[in-house]
Amino acid sequence: MLLIHCPYCDETLPELEFAYAGEAHIARPEDPSTMSDEEWRDFLFIRSNPKGPHFERWRHVHGCARFFNAVRDTVSDRFLLTYKAGEPRPDLASLEAAQ
Amino acid sequence: MSQFRIPGKGRVDHAKTVRFAFDNREYTGLRGDTVASALLAHGVHLMGRSFKYHRPRGPVTADSAEPNALIGTSRGPGRFEPNTRATVQELREGLICESQNRLGALSFDFGAVNDALYPLFPAGFYYKTFMWPRSFWDKLYEPVIRRAAGLGRAPSEVDPDTYASRYLHADLLVVGAGPSGLMAALEAARAGVRVTLVDENAEMGGALLSDPGVEIDGRPAWDWLDATLAELASLGVRLMTRTTAIGYYHQNMIGLCQKLTDHLDEIADNAPRERMWRVRATRVVLAQGALEKPLVFHGNDRPGVMLAGAAQTYLHRYGVKVGTRAVIVTSHDSAYHAAFDLAAAGTRIVAIVETRAAPPETLRAEARVRGIELLAGHTVTGTRGRLRVASVTVNPVQGGRVGEPRMIHCDCLLMSGGWTPSLHLFSHTKGSLQWDAESNTFLPGRMTENCHIAGAGRGLWGFEAALTDGAKAGADAARALGNEAKAAPLSVAHDRPGTGESHRELPTDRRSSRVRAFIDFQNDVTAKDIRLAVREGMRSIEHVKRYTTNGMATDQGKMSNINGLMIAADAVGKAPPEVGLTTFRPPYTPTTFGAFAGYHRGATFEVTRRTPIDPWAEANGAVFEPVSLWRRAWYFPKGGEDMEAAVARECRATRASVGIFDASTLGKIEVAGPDAVEFMNRMYTNPWTKLAPGRCRYGVLLGEDGYIRDDGVIGRLSDELFHVTTTTGGAPRVLNMMEDYLQTEWPDLDVWLTSTTEQWATVALNGPNARKVLEGLVEGVDLSAEAMPHMSVAECRVAGFPARLFRLSFTGELGFEINVPARHGLALWEALMEAGRPHDITPYGTETMHVLRAEKGFIIVGQDTDGTVAPEDAGLGWAIGKKKPDFVGKRSLARPDLVAPGRKQLVGLLTEDGGVKLEEGAQIVLDPDQPLPMKMVGHVTSSYHSATLGRSIAMALIEGGHDMEGRDVYLPMPDGTHRARITSTAFYDPDGSRLKL
Amino acid sequence: MMTDQTHDFPVTSEAGARLRIEELAPEARFSLRVRPTNAPVLGQALGLDLPGRIGQIAEAQGRKALCLGPDEWLICAPEAARDAIVEAARDAYVAASHSLTEISDREISYAISGPAAQELLSIACPRDLDRLAPGEAVRTVFDSAQVVLWRDGPEAFRLDVWRSFAPHVRALLDIGRAEIDAGL
Repeated sequence: MLLIHCPYCDETLPELEFAYAGEAHIARPEDPSTMSDEEWRDFLFIRSNPKGPHFERWRHVHGCARFFNAVRDTVSDRFLLTYKAGEPRPDLASLEAAQ
Repeated sequence: MSQFRIPGKGRVDHAKTVRFAFDNREYTGLRGDTVASALLAHGVHLMGRSFKYHRPRGPVTADSAEPNALIGTSRGPGRFEPNTRATVQELREGLICESQNRLGALSFDFGAVNDALYPLFPAGFYYKTFMWPRSFWDKLYEPVIRRAAGLGRAPSEVDPDTYASRYLHADLLVVGAGPSGLMAALEAARAGVRVTLVDENAEMGGALLSDPGVEIDGRPAWDWLDATLAELASLGVRLMTRTTAIGYYHQNMIGLCQKLTDHLDEIADNAPRERMWRVRATRVVLAQGALEKPLVFHGNDRPGVMLAGAAQTYLHRYGVKVGTRAVIVTSHDSAYHAAFDLAAAGTRIVAIVETRAAPPETLRAEARVRGIELLAGHTVTGTRGRLRVASVTVNPVQGGRVGEPRMIHCDCLLMSGGWTPSLHLFSHTKGSLQWDAESNTFLPGRMTENCHIAGAGRGLWGFEAALTDGAKAGADAARALGNEAKAAPLSVAHDRPGTGESHRELPTDRRSSRVRAFIDFQNDVTAKDIRLAVREGMRSIEHVKRYTTNGMATDQGKMSNINGLMIAADAVGKAPPEVGLTTFRPPYTPTTFGAFAGYHRGATFEVTRRTPIDPWAEANGAVFEPVSLWRRAWYFPKGGEDMEAAVARECRATRASVGIFDASTLGKIEVAGPDAVEFMNRMYTNPWTKLAPGRCRYGVLLGEDGYIRDDGVIGRLSDELFHVTTTTGGAPRVLNMMEDYLQTEWPDLDVWLTSTTEQWATVALNGPNARKVLEGLVEGVDLSAEAMPHMSVAECRVAGFPARLFRLSFTGELGFEINVPARHGLALWEALMEAGRPHDITPYGTETMHVLRAEKGFIIVGQDTDGTVAPEDAGLGWAIGKKKPDFVGKRSLARPDLVAPGRKQLVGLLTEDGGVKLEEGAQIVLDPDQPLPMKMVGHVTSSYHSATLGRSIAMALIEGGHDMEGRDVYLPMPDGTHRARITSTAFYDPDGSRLKL
Repeated sequence: MMTDQTHDFPVTSEAGARLRIEELAPEARFSLRVRPTNAPVLGQALGLDLPGRIGQIAEAQGRKALCLGPDEWLICAPEAARDAIVEAARDAYVAASHSLTEISDREISYAISGPAAQELLSIACPRDLDRLAPGEAVRTVFDSAQVVLWRDGPEAFRLDVWRSFAPHVRALLDIGRAEIDAGL
């Protein structure tokens, strides 16, 4: 069971209060009707699935109920950072340097 | 008192006798004994039989690493446990034990014929032997293997014990209360840290319990121990004995299994047997000590052959001599101390067989003083004795040549192959291991967690080293937690430091094919098996493990891993670290299922959600079915009716007069705010802008992929307030999905969502007399068809309670759904039952609800859809707001695969014989005479007997089904192939005239 | 089953004094959702200074507001204040749009008090309760049920549980209580 820092509660809390919510920074297109079949397919189904740091979404579903973003290393299962929804994608190189 | 128990010695209570039975024989032991120590006190070494060869075996350890002395224990009716380690199980009054894995008596085991035939059972025996002929597998091989498989006898009754769980948060968790762990806990606690100290044994002290001659800070070891434990307690340290750290998980989460009652004579009511602790510690100190390694020689598994350290423990902790004539065989200094202590207690040490040519002079001198013969540079090449070692054969080794044998009589042989740090928990963290060539062992390397390793667990030896290292670890941990700490210096007298060397198999003069030198005692893996596995192509240690089963027994290779590795590495011709170690996995020792399950058994196995009306249903004989986490009334049988009869009656009564149904489980979401209608337009397929307040609409929710996710009737209560209903199982999912879009895609919308599923109790009234039942109870709204037409909603009072009243229908009959605050749900139900009495109001359950809706062709999301069904497929194209610029899933409706021909589409099916009810899930073919494998074009999603229509009806998803109305299809079922005709899904009242009441 | 009756343990045994579990009578409860910028308007309307930090509680005239999320407050009040709260919020809607949804019947509440109260909660609550200060409350989980856990004092807690989950939570509390009484 992981500990996850909720950027809204500003507390590090047990994973049992959280739910995973897929890859982060995949914004729904402004106007889906203008998208080609291929573009739409990529939006729906194509994910990065990296070995290493992964930008992903979590929800503090049994807490403040907010969705937020996280960088988690899929090899070590360690969270490198969590940040509020809507904040820009953090720079990976500086994050890893900080580790 | 037997000749093996030393009066007054040990930590057992010599004044308190405890009676127990082993293999139907009564014995007595002392309070504080384990089953093993008590049996050894009676001279009983033979405690079990090995798994494969049924060889006689006795305890080889005095701790939880024990591979041999596994017994079944019974603590009363239903309280039987197999594979308990006799070396761990404490005596309790009336404990009944039995040996395992024997055919016949323990002393004469028919299964031992396997032992005589051992050349037939090499490593990989099963893989090689049971391949051919294939036809023998079912009838012969599998039944025989199944009978032989498994260790111990599985309990057959439900476990009457209870098991508990706790979450615990600690600044520092110290695992192991030997010298290092005690000092770590002490230094940290003195620095003000919130410490928990755990140990798997019945008492704390670790190696100090087996070495009372040591003096620490001028005090005898046991006095120092008492004082230290008292100080720890006074500092508020949580001290937990009989508590095993079974696993080390991410971010310093440790699982602890605490045994609470197995050692007690009397057990208080409601006392749990074990408790699982899920500990989150900011820092962890692992002070688990080291495990003594056996030496590998022919006959090293005979009862009476045990680890020297174990003999020392039996002597000092339990006051038990493991024999009267002992031979020691060792490659490490530590066994000398065991020998000297035993000699002092009256055991005759016939010889110390030393594999090293030149053991330390101090030890030689001490042996000489005691008159003990020291055979340096010797090896052991065999043991004899049927059920107990009676003699040992020793040979000199010079320049690699094994000299002439000499036989020495003895009744126990005490061995030591050196010590291996216990790295199991550290390995759970994926910490790296480093090979230490000098000590021929792995030591902890790079850490991945906030943890410290102290003492023998990182290869240190001797009490002063362990105590000092523990104190340092405790102080380091305290400082890491931000506390000031400085480890105080310690002085140790009569310390017993030591070194040793490591061996593979001991040198022997036997023909290699005749050597049976065991590595994994429990699984009967010999050194020869490991070499054979390598010869047969197993190069990876993981393959060697699986091929030979080395390390796969219940002790998880605690004794066998390093010996196995050394031999495999030698056979492969590589250095041990290049061959590597197999993965240690939790749990550290076998752990009961009960401890893992905790409170999740019986009535609290999982949440059972109940509606406010559930007590009425229960009192009125409802049969329930689980629907997601809810239990729902399935049907209400009357006077011995079966399900079919009850459902037929409920259906007929509802269509003829009026039925009443508990719909409280429906998900409900309040969507409120100035942008509520915009939000609804974006989420649901339907258009909402023109829906007037006071009206409702059937809404369809898609995923972004265009497939149906949920549906439900949605009422507009005002311009800026919607009452959304969802399916019972979909409620949390739908709210989560809505919140997701709102929080992350459209945070600009001023609209908010609140779950009101449990705020409201919901009762559905359906049938031509529904209005008549309701009329008298309603205040504040006109129920007439003109004022309240089909698909409308009003806020009013019903039976005196504030209510949200919907007119809608999931049955095709005139229908209402009444929502009242949940606390009034039961009273509302009862008022409606009373008001409905003149109309023979009939309560119905979920099955009747399903039949009635199927007669109308209404879908159930999750039954008639499966996550790959688009609205058009389900005949719901009419619910798409085609003029809306966008909604969730809209773009996907134009995806190539969603517009391609041949999609599975929902249709009705009528069997040729109306008495045949198709099976849900039955596959459909167009031509029953086509060659195998047949082309399956779809499957049945819903199927019922319809009392209304007097025949069966079904719905099915069939490729291109919408264009196939009138065509016959075939459904092969177990009783034969059935023909059915594709129809519309509206089986009953297709023009909806019954709603126009 | 879950009506407004209580099932108190009689405080007769020594154990009873260590641990008391009481089902609380209903009160008026609302879920208030409003943008933080508009929170002061609603606070003024309800007579409460809506706290801005998750877990904080404001209390005035028998009304309480607990901050559960950045834009979410749980409002609790005596039943007699229900209509006044609804009206006050309605009046404030034009100035500060929001959602005030009545949830008085959604949850059942248990008061758990006594020296063993925190231990009892630790049978199924994974949070570090030492870090929940008296006068604070959080949404969390108890076993597989979502709850709002209030700490009213060092040895006094309140647990709000969705109504249909309450029998399960209550059963666990009773098992835990019996276990603690057993003294092991």
